[in-house]
Amino acid sequence: MESNWAAEHLQVIRTLMERSALYRRALAPIMTFNGMLGILAAILGWLLKLTAPRSFVLFWAGVGLIGVIGSFLLVRRQALKASEPFWSPPTRRVTEAILPPLAAGFIITCAGYLFAPDASPDLAGATLMLWLPLAWVVLYGCALHAAGFFMPRGMKLFGCAFVLGGSLLFGLGSTDWVSRPGYAYGIMGFFFGALHLAYGIYLYFTEKGTNAA
Amino acid sequence: MNPEPFLQLDRVIHEKGRLAIMSMLAASPELSFTELRDALEMTDGNLTTHLRTLQEAGYLSVAKSYQNNRPLTTCSLTAQGRKAFGGYVNLLERIVQQTKRK
Repeated sequence: MESNWAAEHLQVIRTLMERSALYRRALAPIMTFNGMLGILAAILGWLLKLTAPRSFVLFWAGVGLIGVIGSFLLVRRQALKASEPFWSPPTRRVTEAILPPLAAGFIITCAGYLFAPDASPDLAGATLMLWLPLAWVVLYGCALHAAGFFMPRGMKLFGCAFVLGGSLLFGLGSTDWVSRPGYAYGIMGFFFGALHLAYGIYLYFTEKGTNAA
Repeated sequence: MNPEPFLQLDRVIHEKGRLAIMSMLAASPELSFTELRDALEMTDGNLTTHLRTLQEAGYLSVAKSYQNNRPLTTCSLTAQGRKAFGGYVNLLERIVQQTKRK
């Protein structure tokens, strides 16, 4: 009887601790790394004049992959350093939260790649290069906002900035943009580069406490 | 069964509400009053009473500050609180193990 009671208490403690634990692992390094990557990639893409929609999609898919691998390694390094399990409950919850919008982004990207013209942009291709980055921005914002329920509160606001900024640009987008593929790199560089870098720097100065992942 | 571990249980932590507060704070560097209240579905008065008890026992530190011109109360476990909570959990595990062995 007493054992049951003690076991139940332990279970309650475990559940509450899991619920309370927020994901904080390597947030500042991840944001800074991805911010610098985004800015460098935007400059590189713009300099290389990758204006064909398919090249654009492939280029940013490659950058995204580098970002994911880099973030994974940073998280893993911190988990090893802190002698924590990599696949902790907060990490699992954050992953579950971000997967649906990221999967939607992946599907849209695949569709965009398949339907995009291969050569220099015609009107349809140029339009794709305008709305695809904005779709990425909005969906990425949704992923951050969802993850924000299990992360420090700033993450939700950061996600909102993406959703609102992306939606606003959708609304403001004029036909003039379509004839200027460089704008697509500007959007990517600003949202995935500058905003991440700014948030990373902010976290470096404001983060305190240990990583509760 | 050896009743000794049961008698050693920290009475301050043992109360259901305070145990919940200690459990949540043990997994997070700090939590705001609002976060604790919402997560544990406690009333302001109830939570305040429990926090005061834990603070008087030296298990909890409460910091008051301002965020966006609004008062923000954050709670965190003290080193003494972490030690007491660790001891409490260890005792519970001993009770469970003791019965399993029988």
